[in-house]
Amino acid sequence: MAKAKPIIGLDIHAPTEVNARIIAKTRLAELYIWERYVDDPYYVHKLHNLRIAAKRLRYTLEIFADVLPPTIAPFLKEVAQIQEELGALHDTDVMIALLRLCLGAQDGGSGYEYALAHARKAQKKSDFVINPDIVASLLDPRTVPSTTERRGLESLLLDLHQQRNEHYSTFRQHWYSLQTEDFRNMVLSAIDAEP
Amino acid sequence: MQNQETTIQAAIDIGSNTIHIVVARCSPTSLEILHDEQEMVRIGESVTANGEISAQKIDETISLLSHYKTLAVHYTSALPLIIATEAIRKARNNQQFLAAIHSATNLHVHIIDGTVEALLTFYGATYELYQEPSPPSQVAVLDLGGGSMELVTASNKQVTWHTSVPLGSGWLHDRYLQSDPPSQEDLEVAHTFLDTYLAGLRLKQHPFPILIATGGSANSLLLLARQALNLSEQETRLTYKQIVRCEYLLRNHSAEEISQRYAQPLKRARILPAGALIIHALMANLLLGEIRISTHGIREGALLAYAHYGDYWLQHLQKNAQSSPEKIDNLSQDEQQETFTQSGARLLLERTRKMLEWRSDVLKHKDIEAVHKMRVASRRLRAVLDAYEAACDPKRFKKVYRQVKEIADILGNARDTDVMMANLQQQLTQAPEASQLALQWLIERLSAYRQTHQKELEAFLQAIDEDAFVQQIVACLLEGETRHGKS
Repeated sequence: MAKAKPIIGLDIHAPTEVNARIIAKTRLAELYIWERYVDDPYYVHKLHNLRIAAKRLRYTLEIFADVLPPTIAPFLKEVAQIQEELGALHDTDVMIALLRLCLGAQDGGSGYEYALAHARKAQKKSDFVINPDIVASLLDPRTVPSTTERRGLESLLLDLHQQRNEHYSTFRQHWYSLQTEDFRNMVLSAIDAEP
Repeated sequence: MQNQETTIQAAIDIGSNTIHIVVARCSPTSLEILHDEQEMVRIGESVTANGEISAQKIDETISLLSHYKTLAVHYTSALPLIIATEAIRKARNNQQFLAAIHSATNLHVHIIDGTVEALLTFYGATYELYQEPSPPSQVAVLDLGGGSMELVTASNKQVTWHTSVPLGSGWLHDRYLQSDPPSQEDLEVAHTFLDTYLAGLRLKQHPFPILIATGGSANSLLLLARQALNLSEQETRLTYKQIVRCEYLLRNHSAEEISQRYAQPLKRARILPAGALIIHALMANLLLGEIRISTHGIREGALLAYAHYGDYWLQHLQKNAQSSPEKIDNLSQDEQQETFTQSGARLLLERTRKMLEWRSDVLKHKDIEAVHKMRVASRRLRAVLDAYEAACDPKRFKKVYRQVKEIADILGNARDTDVMMANLQQQLTQAPEASQLALQWLIERLSAYRQTHQKELEAFLQAIDEDAFVQQIVACLLEGETRHGKS
């Protein structure tokens, strides 16, 4: 997960309202850092960062709702919806990654070892979507799935891919509808409006 | 001080625990203390027991006041200003007490009300602070006496709110903590009483960014901490943790041991556990990471008021006290325009509490939504921390941020698994038979992991000391008002 950007230009002695606007603008800019990955459905990690940035913007607008102009409210709803759409996409990505590791591990001991090692190594770099302890639990050689179960898992994986496409499509459509309305500048104007 | 018009004056305060005299060279804004002496008479003890001041306490008081009068005459021809507080206010025979003093010593004692007491305490406890080059604009004062506790908040030297609460160290000791050292059972009862009482006062709606504590208990606690915890002689601040450590000492040693080991008067050592408990409970209630201790208080306030207003000092103070409702209204306007640091303190407290509210539900493990709610609350808290990083001490910020992240991560692992299982359960109802077996296998595996993780999660959450955690979060904010320039 990308770290929140430090906020530049705050005056801790100024009224909260002044600083809240600076923070909200920083979080909005942070959201748009990830915009270039919107068109590529397989930038799983970048889309996850976009989701986190949306979440940070949403929380910032909520935290400072009392001091920011009330005209922000409809934009806050849109940001929350984008976050939820990306959340559904992320949940599916987690399941897909898990099933892939799980099925791959059944190919042999070396595959299992590789998947586990990769998952644990990747977790340290924070660029992997699955908790390695879950992976370890699923890849326990004492509880391998039967052939029937394995076929079912393959089928589930296909279904999940289909669901992922739908989630991605919903998100992308929403994102572009917002950009058509010049969402970024509208939010900026709302942040700067008179309270 | 040398260039100002000054006068030498003595002030005596007859409190529930002590009778205390200060003689000082006074100007309206500063004091040069020439003599400071106190004796524990514990008038409040007899008032709590019988509702009136016993004959023995009256005699002791007269004897002590006679001595103080002689002492004052040594410095000045003016008669000392004498004020009496909660125990005397409450005593049924207070007029008889005043008459006996006047008859024996020719001294006149003023019984002041709680509001005037709060104002005098504020003047006395803060005059040194306001002589600093950049005094903080927001200050609060606590005067913990034997029979009452005064709380005052001020903005730019103007009192914005004050209250007097009939709850003091001597009173708490006499009512709840008479065993020596106090028993665990008694401490728990007293603690419950204090928590409930303080919650009812709704103190949190008033700003307490910097709290200056004064009074015998606060000063004795500082002396104890300096010796027992090896603090420097110049240290005038006590952290929440240091107070907890002092309490631990007081709980495990008799008053005599405390008196001998740490050079505390025995009478003071007896009531110190109660004083420490009140300060602890108040800090927890207000979520304060530390307090400053001042040796000055009501007596110094009386001397300053006298230097400022002359013979009509008490009438002026009573008039000031009556104007308080307007000032309380002004406070709410101030709050609407709170500074960034003030809003940071408020938001961090709110969000920390919100997150911790879910802890017991997560531990019950009955509703998976509790994990979700606590995780979301942890993320909102992180968002507040991110927003206020510039107003925080970097080292403390890093520490608390890491702690909040750890909480979010461990909850995240639980939540992600819950979501996966819920999604799979949903698919199970619609899946063909072959897929159902696979889904069940997967749900079982995830469920096994989740059970193991729940134990880890519970151990982690149970290890969190809520009070200490809240204190750490609050303490990471810099004292914004004492820091200047842009961050």
